[in-house]
Amino acid sequence: MPSADNAKVQFREVVQRFRHVRGRPHMLREVFVRMSARGEGVRTIDALKGISFDVRAGETLGLIGRNGSGKSTILRLIARIYRPTAGTVTVHGGVSPLIELGAGFHPELTASENVVLSGALMGVAPRVMRERMEAVFAFAELAEYAEVPLKQFSSGMQARLAFAIATEIDPDILLLDEVLAVGDEAFQRKCVERIQRFRRERRTLVFVTHDLRLVPDVCDRVLVLDDGRVVAEGAPAAMVERYLESLKPAAPAAAS
Amino acid sequence: MWELCRVAYERRELIWLLALKELKVRYNRSALGFLWALLNPLLMALVLTLVFSSLLRVNIERYPIFLLSTLFPWTFFSQSLNYATQSIVTNGSLLKKVYVPPVVFPLAAVLANLVNFLLTLVPLALLLVVFDFPFHGTWLFLPVPILMLVLFTTGVGLAFATANVFLRDVGQVLQIILSVWFYFSPIIYDLGAIHPRFQWFFELNPMHPILRSFRLAIYGEVTRGLLPSGNLILLGAAGALLALLAGHALFRRYQDSFALYV
Repeated sequence: MPSADNAKVQFREVVQRFRHVRGRPHMLREVFVRMSARGEGVRTIDALKGISFDVRAGETLGLIGRNGSGKSTILRLIARIYRPTAGTVTVHGGVSPLIELGAGFHPELTASENVVLSGALMGVAPRVMRERMEAVFAFAELAEYAEVPLKQFSSGMQARLAFAIATEIDPDILLLDEVLAVGDEAFQRKCVERIQRFRRERRTLVFVTHDLRLVPDVCDRVLVLDDGRVVAEGAPAAMVERYLESLKPAAPAAAS
Repeated sequence: MWELCRVAYERRELIWLLALKELKVRYNRSALGFLWALLNPLLMALVLTLVFSSLLRVNIERYPIFLLSTLFPWTFFSQSLNYATQSIVTNGSLLKKVYVPPVVFPLAAVLANLVNFLLTLVPLALLLVVFDFPFHGTWLFLPVPILMLVLFTTGVGLAFATANVFLRDVGQVLQIILSVWFYFSPIIYDLGAIHPRFQWFFELNPMHPILRSFRLAIYGEVTRGLLPSGNLILLGAAGALLALLAGHALFRRYQDSFALYV
């Protein structure tokens, strides 16, 4: 375990359990099952099965793994959206409370109104957000659309705006979940550049992606997750290789 | 309670923006926009006046004003409650993506409707002029019942919002509760119209002292406005604070698991 002195985020034996009462509750009894902490006849799924790791100050940590391996759950725990079922999550410093880009966008509001609202959702005062408005629109390359309702934006334009907002609010710890999956090649490159700038500024980033080509460029260290556990931890290139290896069928078919 | 005040203060700008968004979205798409906030109550007043004073022949002097003095506050209550109850579920996807104290959503719902309600005081004043009804100085007292009404509504709203996360039927049940509650509240009638033997039951309604204060101040004895007695205010304030305490306690107890169920 790395030294905890400069850890920005510490996970210790963290378990995150989800309870499912299948379908909709038919009886009032089930409602109380849902509301109470325990209850029989409830299926539970452990999305995280006791994981421990640190995110050190100034590093960019990548999380890779299959769908359902627990990557997004980890981000949500860091962002305080979930409370761990067991174990402890310690976070030092302000986290971008943003998990997915564009959370809180409203299609009926204009782009600039959405910038202010998004900022407020992330705890940034409207006054500050208005000051940064120009920078946001400049980065998103959407300056001429500031007063257009968001519903008229393409999904690529929305993603650009969202990324610009997220990186313009200067959090201590930036959480990025699949943000590079959207936008064209040119904008992706711009995003990667900005992430690189964050790294040079020694900000802390936690980064979830399925775009494995980017991982060695962007991350300092990578955790490979599988089924709610950390199965490997180390240098990006080696971890990507290891992850790709694990995706191959256990008993490979005869070579052609 | 202290925590509620702290969050409301710290996130006041967010709450205001959310309320503003609510209002913008509500009126943006209509040609008349914000005018509807004024027009709606006027039209409602027109219909009710027609029904109650021309067709049904109610024996109350200046019935339209009598009615509207409590109907507008009631409309605020029922609309806020509807919005607040749905607020957590409606913003569910947001709660899963961003960490915000969930309480901002019901608070914003109440605030948006409060703005709406304060706007309806304009057409109400207009109606006083139209009906040649005297403007009582007791209007100055209105902030007191408005405050009680807002606190009570917030408390009840927090409780229903919590319940609705776990059982979506709550939104439907609320409609039934509200219509029963409406008839048990002194809105279309006065408590004096109830048989004395049952009055105590109607006085248990926590909305009673609040609505009564509105009516006394705006309608009073027609020729002059009345101030509610100290007892009435005390009762109204106690009910409002109790509702707020209980509603917030329930909300707080379950808010951490909202993100798991919405």
